[in-house]
Amino acid sequence: APIRWRMQTYAGAALGEHVCKPAIELFNKIAAGQMEIELYYADQLVPTSELFRAMQSGTIDAVQSDDDSMQSPTEVTVFGGYFPFASRYSLDVPVLFNQYGLKQIWEEEYAKAGVRHISAGAWDPCHFATKDPINSLKDLEGKRVFTFPTAGRFLAQFGVVPVQLPWEDIQVALQTGELDGIAWSGITEDYTVGWADVTKYFLTNNISGAWIGHFFANQDRWNEVPEHLQALMEVCFEQSHYYRQWWYWGGEADLRVNGPKLELTSIPDEEWATVEAAARTFWDEIAAESETKAKVVEIFKKYNDVMAKSGRPYRYG
Amino acid sequence: MPYEYIAIVMFMGMMAMLLSGQRVFAGIGFVAVVAAIALWGDRGGYDIAFTSAIKLMNWYPMLTLPMFVWMGYVMSETRLADDLYRMFHVWFGPIPGGLAIGTILLMVLVSAMNGLSVAGLAIGATIALPELLKRGYDKRMVTGIIQGGSSLGILVPPSIVLVLYAMIARQPVGQLWLAGVFPGLLMAGFFLLYVVIRCGLNPKMGPPLSREELATITWSERIRLLRAGVLPVVIFASMMGPFVLGYVSLVESSVIGATIATFVAIAKRRLTKQVWETCVVNTLGVSCMFMWILLAALAFGAVFDGLGAVRAIESFFLEDLGLGPWTILILMQVSFLVMGMFLDDTAMLVIVAPLYIPLVAKLDLGMPPGDVLIWYGVLYTITCQVAYITPPFGYNLFLMRAMAPDQVSLGDIYRSIVPITGIMLLTLAVIILFPEIALWLPHQVYGQ
Amino acid sequence: MPRFLVMFVRITEAVNYRVGRIAMYLIFVLAAVLMWSVISKAFFRPALWTQEMAQFTMVGYFVLGGAYSLILGANVRMDLLYGRWSPKTQAAVDIVTIFALIFFLATILWGGIESTAYAFEVGERSRTVWRPYMAPIKIVICTGVFLMLLQSVCFLIRDIATLRGERI
Ligand code: NA
Ligand code: NA
Repeated sequence: APIRWRMQTYAGAALGEHVCKPAIELFNKIAAGQMEIELYYADQLVPTSELFRAMQSGTIDAVQSDDDSMQSPTEVTVFGGYFPFASRYSLDVPVLFNQYGLKQIWEEEYAKAGVRHISAGAWDPCHFATKDPINSLKDLEGKRVFTFPTAGRFLAQFGVVPVQLPWEDIQVALQTGELDGIAWSGITEDYTVGWADVTKYFLTNNISGAWIGHFFANQDRWNEVPEHLQALMEVCFEQSHYYRQWWYWGGEADLRVNGPKLELTSIPDEEWATVEAAARTFWDEIAAESETKAKVVEIFKKYNDVMAKSGRPYRYG
Repeated sequence: MPYEYIAIVMFMGMMAMLLSGQRVFAGIGFVAVVAAIALWGDRGGYDIAFTSAIKLMNWYPMLTLPMFVWMGYVMSETRLADDLYRMFHVWFGPIPGGLAIGTILLMVLVSAMNGLSVAGLAIGATIALPELLKRGYDKRMVTGIIQGGSSLGILVPPSIVLVLYAMIARQPVGQLWLAGVFPGLLMAGFFLLYVVIRCGLNPKMGPPLSREELATITWSERIRLLRAGVLPVVIFASMMGPFVLGYVSLVESSVIGATIATFVAIAKRRLTKQVWETCVVNTLGVSCMFMWILLAALAFGAVFDGLGAVRAIESFFLEDLGLGPWTILILMQVSFLVMGMFLDDTAMLVIVAPLYIPLVAKLDLGMPPGDVLIWYGVLYTITCQVAYITPPFGYNLFLMRAMAPDQVSLGDIYRSIVPITGIMLLTLAVIILFPEIALWLPHQVYGQ
Repeated sequence: MPRFLVMFVRITEAVNYRVGRIAMYLIFVLAAVLMWSVISKAFFRPALWTQEMAQFTMVGYFVLGGAYSLILGANVRMDLLYGRWSPKTQAAVDIVTIFALIFFLATILWGGIESTAYAFEVGERSRTVWRPYMAPIKIVICTGVFLMLLQSVCFLIRDIATLRGERI
């Protein structure tokens, strides 16, 4: 009998269609009956907040998520998802993991919890999509916004009221008035999952250039899989990261220019600089919380410093 | 054992548990955890069971449930609808079948103020029915329309059944509620037509008020009674208005509605100690019943999903049998109606949701995908209405049996629902043929 | 019936009745929290904690009120066959099928205890900015489910008594 795995992603079905399903179908096809991964979307088997525990206990074999959304009980949780201004482009993420040492830190942290960190990949930048236009920081005050936990913690100082809801309920919540907007994704995702139908404005300033997310597996289940299938899984997941690189990159530019549903607004650069400055303070607060966190923040600083000094096209101004 | 067989065993097990008469949520939950343990080991069992409680907690529209239940009890227990009934009585009394027409209109207004059918049935059976019988109305006709009319409570917004459907189908509650408006009015219109035709053919079935009696009602009295009609408009408008305009959220609107109903009852000095006790206790009872069934249903759904059985069933119907989408849809509704005779709506939703909703979403019915599940929510709700009144198992049937005056026998109740069921099925057919009736309003409000 | 079983039923039901009567009023706490949400949004800045507090309150409402709702007989049964049986037959069938209820509740409780232990172990907090600790609400769920479990055992004892022609 083939090995059967259950994988749950934190993404809902509409998004999973792009960010997860193609890779899983590819894997199942090449594995040719030796192994089959069944894919489940956000909250389908267990709620996203219980995802980590369910993987740890083996109810779910593998997970695609950022650390923040699934509330992983590790030291690196705050950096998954969108850590404010840690990255500018989606290629920053694989570089940080593979060349600047984040991969090793993540592997060690998750090994402590009995979980295998398979690989990290980047998604889209984090922009606001709202029902009312945002032209200054003042416009953000009092807005009930669905966002990542850490981003929410950071944005609260600007008067944003972060709200947590199951992912599949966001579109409905925008309609029922539970939410005024989202700070969760780039414009590609807004269009793909239907949020562009229930919001009107897209803010071009972002609080992070790329999401950090991962594939994980229960360590025992991983060990039971023969080596060649482990390798195949790694390759297919890498392929999934690559798909997202071009799918988001192309979509972000195209939809800003040609998308019919969202009107673009911007907060002036000088004003937005106060948010960037606040992020630096936020980094230092996080670094003070533990040694591991300090190590990660140090790597972010080092990397961004290199990028800034290297000039165009890596950083402008 | 192949997963398809496990799925079948799960269904059979659940049916057996339900037939044994054990509490519905226990039967569903038990089968769910046993299947989870068989599939994923003991940890799987308790993970699925407990996380279902967390899922239920996270789903915010659930917060509206106790509010709407409370509102329904306040409305029926404090007899807030008495004046409303008097109003219809006086204004429609002079025409043949007029009191029955007034009763249907009363049921529509009560439906717009609460989310279940219980409040409407209580008001209809205790206020309207004795009066109608005293006036010599045909007992089977009026027993029938009260049952049918009260079931509009789940189709006309607000509707708890549509909240439950929204949760399981992951569809927007606001759109579903709006989709229920015109089908609800259409069905009420058919009820009216039915009364008019029958009383027109045979005036003895609904004698008008006598001249002498009419003479005793002064015009100032008639005008004064019109004010009673303001109450439901105020409650409905203050609840739905700020919500549709975007000032408050869905959940908040339910609290506003419940608060206003409570204050009106206090202002009218109807909220006595005893009424208060009944409302508080029954709201807890009904809310617990729904919540626990849903919790069990979520566990059942997760295991069923985890089996991959949904995919197997989809390919069975669509590819292996090669049935057309409309054939499948009609087969589903027929099987649904048959099940509805034996099961209550929540149990039905639990059983069919994991099967039917994904299947409906896959059917190519020539409608945009976003519309299909909204429209289907309305079809589901009408089927629930039929289930409510069809023997051997129907909520409204039981309640009617308990509340109706003695001269209405069980046989009368059973026979009374035949034409009403016919009208409901007619409405169902019309909505299937013309989905725009359901979809027009949500499109207007949410724009698509 | 043995005295200690009778005592067990009496004490359990007395406790469940009182807990349920208190939990019953949580609906007004729920309404107050949501009302504050409306008011704070209209006049000040929307409160950070109302949505979650409302959800916790709702869970407390139906979980702590659960055992009392069982006593009230509020949980529907399909009475197609059941309704036609004599009280003795009903009791006899219930003695068997009550194990479904007990098993389901025990499974939730087991998962709840595990999850509560985990919440303590990692100091689990909710993902919101308000960041409440998750252990308290998990303890509430465990307590409520435990009380429901005890109530189910009471039903079992009562049904056995009915079969023996006794009344508790
Ligand atoms: Na209604
Ligand atoms: Na029925």
